[in-house]
Amino acid sequence: MQTVAMGLVPAVQAIDLRKSFGELHAVDGVSFELAAGRIYGVLGPNGSGKTTLIRMLTGLGRPTAGEARVLGVQMPSRTNLARIGYMTQSDGIYPELTAAENARFFGAMYGIRDPDAAEAALAVVELSDRAGALASQLSGGLRRRLSLACALVHRPPVLFLDEPTVGVDPALRAQFWAYFHELARDGTTIVVSSHVMDEADRCDELLFMRAGRVIAQGSGGELRARAGTSDLEQAFLQFSAQGPAA
Amino acid sequence: MSARRVVALLRRLVQELHRDRRSMALLFLAPIVLTGLMAYVLRGQLVTPVSAVVVNQAGQPGAAIVGALEGAMRTDGGTVTEAPDRAAADAALRDGTASIAIVVPADFVARLATGNEPSLTVITPGLEPTADSQQVISLQRAIATAVTQALPAAGLHLPRLDAQTLYGTPDSDVVDHLAPVFLGFFAYFFVYILTGISFLRERVGGTLERLLATPVSRGEIVLGYSLGFGLFATIQVLVLLGWTLLDVRVPAIGPLAAFSVGLAVPVAGSAGLAFLVVMLLALGAVSLGILLSTFARTELQVVQFIPLVIVPQALLSGVLFPVSSMPDILQAIARVLPLTYATDGLRQVVIRGADLGYGPLQLDVLVLAAFVAVFAVLASATIRREVV
Ligand SMILES: Nc1ncnc2c1ncn2[C@@H]1O[C@H](COP(=O)(O)OP(=O)(O)OP(=O)(O)O)[C@@H](O)[C@H]1O
Ligand SMILES: [Mg+2]
Repeated sequence: MQTVAMGLVPAVQAIDLRKSFGELHAVDGVSFELAAGRIYGVLGPNGSGKTTLIRMLTGLGRPTAGEARVLGVQMPSRTNLARIGYMTQSDGIYPELTAAENARFFGAMYGIRDPDAAEAALAVVELSDRAGALASQLSGGLRRRLSLACALVHRPPVLFLDEPTVGVDPALRAQFWAYFHELARDGTTIVVSSHVMDEADRCDELLFMRAGRVIAQGSGGELRARAGTSDLEQAFLQFSAQGPAA
Repeated sequence: MSARRVVALLRRLVQELHRDRRSMALLFLAPIVLTGLMAYVLRGQLVTPVSAVVVNQAGQPGAAIVGALEGAMRTDGGTVTEAPDRAAADAALRDGTASIAIVVPADFVARLATGNEPSLTVITPGLEPTADSQQVISLQRAIATAVTQALPAAGLHLPRLDAQTLYGTPDSDVVDHLAPVFLGFFAYFFVYILTGISFLRERVGGTLERLLATPVSRGEIVLGYSLGFGLFATIQVLVLLGWTLLDVRVPAIGPLAAFSVGLAVPVAGSAGLAFLVVMLLALGAVSLGILLSTFARTELQVVQFIPLVIVPQALLSGVLFPVSSMPDILQAIARVLPLTYATDGLRQVVIRGADLGYGPLQLDVLVLAAFVAVFAVLASATIRREVV
């Protein structure tokens, strides 16, 4: 942890990661090093391999080849999971439990003893006033918020968020991002997947994915400059046409 | 009413079922397999040869009858030994050296000769009614042969058999025998369904994925589930056991006839021991539910395991048909089914009144405990972090 904070070890590292489902190469040789305390956006169209990549980074997916490391520890590692938060693309919350019960349950799973942790996490996503509501009775966007709260409850140094803002209204979306930046300032490394390009500029660095490969990596400004366009969408299409990043 | 919509609905069902090959296969295979199994169990029933112990209280004339009986039973492959008195006969039944006891009363021959309602006392263990009645039927055949041989004139007056059981009360009925066994079966069945569906929801609802992204271990998950459903099982078993033993007679009130509440099944042994046996079975069912939910993608498929896994167990584990009279292959299968041991254990406790000092019951409890452990290990092996 110490060395990670000092920047000696990348917070998240992919070493030629590959995942195939039969003939389909969902992740096709991905390597990168992500530094602590920054927000990384993994952008790519549907089916480009974002979720598959994140599952391998969290140790839930077994790589066909290559290696995933988080905070210097090779995944899968059960103990390392205490330092990782993962908000899945589907909500993954218990519909028969209330919002507060869900947050407390995941807190307990992460080994959190602090009884206020769950309430604090709910407060962050502005769910405190619905804490007693059954998850099944929350609206889609509210469930997304609860799902985020459950990923944050143990205040992990590394956060993987798979399309966290889908279905969240613009006002709260802005608040989510403000909070992500606050976390990043405190040293949290955040990996966010999205296919909404207008969220891209909120990230410190972007990884464009297409067909299981990272076709470009850099800050929004850098990528625009390299593609010679002011539009990220345009830049993505241009990198797509060029093939994998050098 | 739009024909097109109706046809579209029909087509959708065909498409879905067509993709769900397993449901399709089950639709045709399960009934064939199950009826086949049932036929095998029923047709394959080997009547275990009678090993009778005879108490002759009728002296010399009785000895002639006993001799004829021995001859008749030997031709059927049975064996006959003699015991000096009823106590010795009971002892032979108890330790399993005899499967049936016959007492020839002092006045038997005289009554037989005059046709004055001759009767023989027949004592069976009373643990498994089906097995007992098979023995009695064999015995009846032998008695008919023996009597016509020894006293040709008495042929028309076959003796009445006064049936008694070693265990259980003389007036115990079929419910008394089946209820304890069904208690185990239902606990097993419902706990399996409850856990299977609940764990399947965890798998398909995305919460298992989420759960496995936390540092929780597989052992913790299985133990947590076992304790959780174990709690439900405890309540269920307590309620069921209470209902089985309950005997509350409500007197007639006004126009209402008197009735009783509860099954009023007498328990020879300790109810706590019966509870232990059922609880071990139920804990095994928790792990079985987790295990089988791996092979199911929908709740429908969890239910499909009932005819494949649960019903065959009901047929083979001695709930309805005695294991001892099944063909060898089926007996071998029965010996690896947890329900077989629970069924036997419950009979031993409730009907025989056995306690933990009794060898066969110790075996039942040990095997059930081993099943709980093995199933728990298997179940936790199916909870894999790196599923795909
Ligand atoms: N378990 C699986 N079995 C077979 N193919 C799979 C499996 N999981 C993912 N895939 C395939 O791998 C590819 C990448 O899927 P993935 O879910 O990683 O995409 P994604 O970038 O997250 O897409 P989206 O933006 O829609 O969430 C897709 O073609 C998908 O069909
Ligand atoms: Mg995805």
